[in-house]
Amino acid sequence: MKVFSRYISKHLLSFIGLILALVILNIAAFAFTFYNAVSKNFGSISPQNMLKQVAAASSSNGITNEAERMIITNSLWAMYLNMEGSCNWTVNLPEEIPTEYSIQDIAIFSKGYLKDYPVFVWSDVNGLLVIGYPKNSYMKITSNYYPIDTVRKIPLFFLGITVIDLLVLFLAYSLSKAQISKNTEPIISSIATLSEGKSINLSINGELSEIAVSINKASNIISRQNTARANWISGVSHDIRTPLSMIMGYADRIVKDKDADNRIKEQAAIISRQSIKIKDLVQDLNLVSKLEYEMQPLQKENIRLSKLLRSFAIDLLNSGLPDFYSLEVNISPDSENSMIECDTKLITRAVNNLVQNSIHSNPKGCTIILSLQVTESKLLLTVQDNGIGISVEKLEELKNKPHYMESTDDRLDLRHGLGLLLVRQIIEAHHGTIEIESRPHEGYKTNIYFSGISKP
Amino acid sequence: MDNTFLQNKKLLLVDDEPELLEMVTAILSDEGFGNIVTAVSVKEGISAAQNEKPDLAILDVMLPDGDGFSLMQQIRTFSDVPVIFLTAKDESVDRLSGLGLGADDYIAKPFLPQELLFRIYAVLRRCYKDDTPFINLDGCTIDFARAEVHKAGKTIPLTAKEHIFLETLARSEGRIVTVDTLCQALWGDNPFGYENSLNAHVRRIREKIETDPSKPVSLITVKGLGYKLNARK
Repeated sequence: MKVFSRYISKHLLSFIGLILALVILNIAAFAFTFYNAVSKNFGSISPQNMLKQVAAASSSNGITNEAERMIITNSLWAMYLNMEGSCNWTVNLPEEIPTEYSIQDIAIFSKGYLKDYPVFVWSDVNGLLVIGYPKNSYMKITSNYYPIDTVRKIPLFFLGITVIDLLVLFLAYSLSKAQISKNTEPIISSIATLSEGKSINLSINGELSEIAVSINKASNIISRQNTARANWISGVSHDIRTPLSMIMGYADRIVKDKDADNRIKEQAAIISRQSIKIKDLVQDLNLVSKLEYEMQPLQKENIRLSKLLRSFAIDLLNSGLPDFYSLEVNISPDSENSMIECDTKLITRAVNNLVQNSIHSNPKGCTIILSLQVTESKLLLTVQDNGIGISVEKLEELKNKPHYMESTDDRLDLRHGLGLLLVRQIIEAHHGTIEIESRPHEGYKTNIYFSGISKP
Repeated sequence: MDNTFLQNKKLLLVDDEPELLEMVTAILSDEGFGNIVTAVSVKEGISAAQNEKPDLAILDVMLPDGDGFSLMQQIRTFSDVPVIFLTAKDESVDRLSGLGLGADDYIAKPFLPQELLFRIYAVLRRCYKDDTPFINLDGCTIDFARAEVHKAGKTIPLTAKEHIFLETLARSEGRIVTVDTLCQALWGDNPFGYENSLNAHVRRIREKIETDPSKPVSLITVKGLGYKLNARK
């Protein structure tokens, strides 16, 4: 999976890149904030150094040319005040600066500004050296004390930067995570769909589009195979139908033949019954495979299930249900007019399969009850018989064992019949749920719940 | 209802399988149909329909030189003969009902002979009026043309609703008809709530047709489902 590793390394690299950029940014922020102060406070033209150099290069009587040049080139000015408060000498002195000072003047400017010029003083035995800096070049804090919140700002700055860094990192993490899930989510979900044997069509752009192409290819293969399988089953079932019509037709003719002897008639009746079983099987097989591969379009319409049940029941009775079976239909008044969206043919088929199940499991006869009622805003369709029922183990098998269409295990006894699978598929296609209840000698009962009831 | 007048109708069978044609012909002959024409292709089917002028056509969907649908469309250009399709595919059934081709019915293969006969009778009865519209019940005879019941030498008239009710049941004589179908025929709409009216009609009809209305033998109730009309054996 070259594409994936490329994809992941790209994301990791960009993450590392971001961290590096943040570190550099932090250093820059620190340097920018503090370098200025450092260079101004401790550099060669800082007041500290200037005072030292000028003091060394001057006395109460004058200043060396070199020091004078240095003051002028840096746009500073300087003066030397003697004990009486008058200037012994000046360098580059602005016009507005006086040359005579009282003690009060000196006390005030030595801590702060002289006519808005930040000034710095150096005292020696004969007097006071004053160096003036351009206006607005330094801010002098004229008091010796600092408000505590100013001091507090320093740790706060570090804390703030750290928090911002963490936030940026977290944001980058979430964005990148969202981006990865956004790109991989459709891939993962389509692989899950594929694993159910269903076809998909995945469309994504960007680095992972190659994967989408491969997945779509796999899906096409699966869908082609599914279609081929369903067509194959449909073809076989089609080809069986015409010959089976003839077997059923002739067997029935022999049963009704007045000249045939009874033994032959009985045998023909067996052929007829078994042919009907094959007919049901062929139809089930075809329908199951089509529902399985989603090739059966549902023709849903809003119908009254009560009507469907009655119509099914009379068809069954009219087709000649043997006397030892009795069929009851109980439709509760509140469910009489309940309508659901369903495919009439398929639902009738599901009910028929359940009823045929009861008939086949009880060859000696039983009472079959079809009922319809409304429970908890759902429509409950029940097919039950009072026949021999099935054992607890068998019931578990029915509930849990896969059908042979879904099982790769070739031991037939581990798989159950087609009829129930079809019922399940039909009910699932209608978003209904199904429950089976049975106990030995207490009959067999299937509950089918449909939601989405409407009234006419 | 008496079926003999229907058995005189001419039927056209078209199927590419000669053995199936032979069998269906045999089943129909057993039943009393004497007038049967067969064809094995679209071409033969069209000429048979033109020359023989059948009263009912039973067409296979899959034919060697085309399909039953196009055969029907071609027949429709010169004839309004009712058509029943025989189909070996579930899809065809869907197509038939979905396309609204105007077929009268369809039968999916494999079919039981009685199912085939029932469908044929149903379509024929729907399309051709009975010349002698009588049904003989146990103890009386219903004359549908005059809407009268002849019982024990007396003539009892039927109301319009009773007539529809009995005619609907007589068309499926011996078979159960659901309350839904009956209400549809009587009132033409959603039948729920008409149960009491239906019961009232049934009571009155029984008084007219049954020898002992409290022990009905002709008009039978099938609890929760519908009613059945039994002809005299």
